[in-house]
Amino acid sequence: MGVKRVNRKDFLNLIETIFFFDFLKGLSVTLRNLLRKPITTEYPSEKLTPPKRFRGAHGHFVWDGSEPNSLKAIEGYMSYEKGKSRCVACYMCQTACPMPTLFRIKAVQEPDGTKRVVRFEMNLLNCLFCGLCVDACPVGCLTMTDLYELAGYSRREAVLKIDRLENHGVDFKKRRDKEPDRIWIDDHHREKLWGKIEWTG
Amino acid sequence: MGEFLVSLIVALIKIAVVLGVALGLGAYLTWFERKLAGHIQARLGPTVVGPFGLLQPLADGLKLMTKESIVPRGADMPVYYLAIMMAVAPALLLFSVIPFGPEFEIFGYSIKPIVADVNIAILIVFAMGSLAVYGTIFSGWASNSKYAFIGSLRKASVIIAYEVVLGFAVLGVILLAGTMSTVGIVEAQLEKGIWFIFYQPIAFVLYLFCMLAESGRVPFDIQEAEAELVTGYSVEYGGMKFGALPLAEWYLNVVALSAIAVVLFFGGWSGPQILGPFSPYFWFLVKTFGLVFFVIWLHWTLPRFQARDVTEVAWKIMLPLALLNIIATAVAVYITGG
Repeated sequence: MGVKRVNRKDFLNLIETIFFFDFLKGLSVTLRNLLRKPITTEYPSEKLTPPKRFRGAHGHFVWDGSEPNSLKAIEGYMSYEKGKSRCVACYMCQTACPMPTLFRIKAVQEPDGTKRVVRFEMNLLNCLFCGLCVDACPVGCLTMTDLYELAGYSRREAVLKIDRLENHGVDFKKRRDKEPDRIWIDDHHREKLWGKIEWTG
Repeated sequence: MGEFLVSLIVALIKIAVVLGVALGLGAYLTWFERKLAGHIQARLGPTVVGPFGLLQPLADGLKLMTKESIVPRGADMPVYYLAIMMAVAPALLLFSVIPFGPEFEIFGYSIKPIVADVNIAILIVFAMGSLAVYGTIFSGWASNSKYAFIGSLRKASVIIAYEVVLGFAVLGVILLAGTMSTVGIVEAQLEKGIWFIFYQPIAFVLYLFCMLAESGRVPFDIQEAEAELVTGYSVEYGGMKFGALPLAEWYLNVVALSAIAVVLFFGGWSGPQILGPFSPYFWFLVKTFGLVFFVIWLHWTLPRFQARDVTEVAWKIMLPLALLNIIATAVAVYITGG
């Protein structure tokens, strides 16, 4: 890799000094910027939509009939309800998590022998939004949504309980399920920076 | 007795108008500067208070006035309060010698739109420019803070250097016009039919630099120097006391010195008659505002000189240039007979 040499003089010549060449150059740059359109997003009234792979607040996908057939196999062992979380309380997310105290998960055995998740809580104050828990989930339940306004008035509000996780999952699926999974908001923006990608086939 | 009363009333009206215009302009220049700075940096500037953020100066004023006033321990109280007056008063007094238009008649009285038409107006400008440094020095001294004191000492060294250059730069125009009265200088330009900037381009550039240095604008804002001295001499002031110092220095001084630059170099109120009797005022305001715009534009373009370099440039480069300019002008005036 060659070194790119920038050809720039250290001193101005006499004519350039007299006419303040460097000042004029700087002024032309700021004037061009002055006439450019501002790039501000006026935040509370306008909000950016993050790309689908954005790692925001967590959510649980629910048991709604859209899950793959492989998951149907465990239906007999779990006491699932329609429209409730499809979590199996396997503790894989807690195991993958770099922060040991982030999850509180509890499951009980029902009289008929099935397993029921009674508690799934995440303390987002400890969360660093790495997404390892999502990768670890074996039933495709835990996900990360595009919600990024997570500020609250108390520490209690930062703890996601199972009903909020379910709501996030349902909401996220409803809004963005159809979109392709990507880290750019659209192909136009990606191509501006990285150019067009040539796929085979 | 009747004539005295009329002239008194006329003078009071003129003072009220000039004061109102100057202070209102000063307040709205803060809005203008923030808008301009925002758009130069691809931002929007104030947008929330009122349409286009136009009520922002009022909101700022309310905020500053309702703020708690904290006076540092060990401050020299009388001087601490005097410093504000010493900063604002000279900046306002600069407006007293600015002619906004030609003489006109109303109700049988001829009125000059200038508060004080004195024949030493340019000397008053120099005097007020030098007096303004007392505000800075006093505020730095009375605050009992080393940052403030460094700021005020820097300002003092800058003012000493640039007052000299300013005096010599303006001397060329005075030689050409043959008078020190601001009205006289404008009339000389009208008579010659040419603006003095074409005779004195070097003097204009020197004047511009002195203007930037005296009003503490970039690239000579070493006395404020946000990055190294927080904000220099005004760092220990709070509330409206803090608001008054930049108002006087950054806005009133810039407007007044721009108006005087217009008088000296751009033919004052001269310009084509496009608005009937109001066109002189229109042209004067347009030229002044153009210069103010240029100063603010420069502020958001250039970086800051080192404290050492600012005075070095003044003494080693600008002063010899100004002296050469005067000698050349004097010889030319002597040969052509004025």
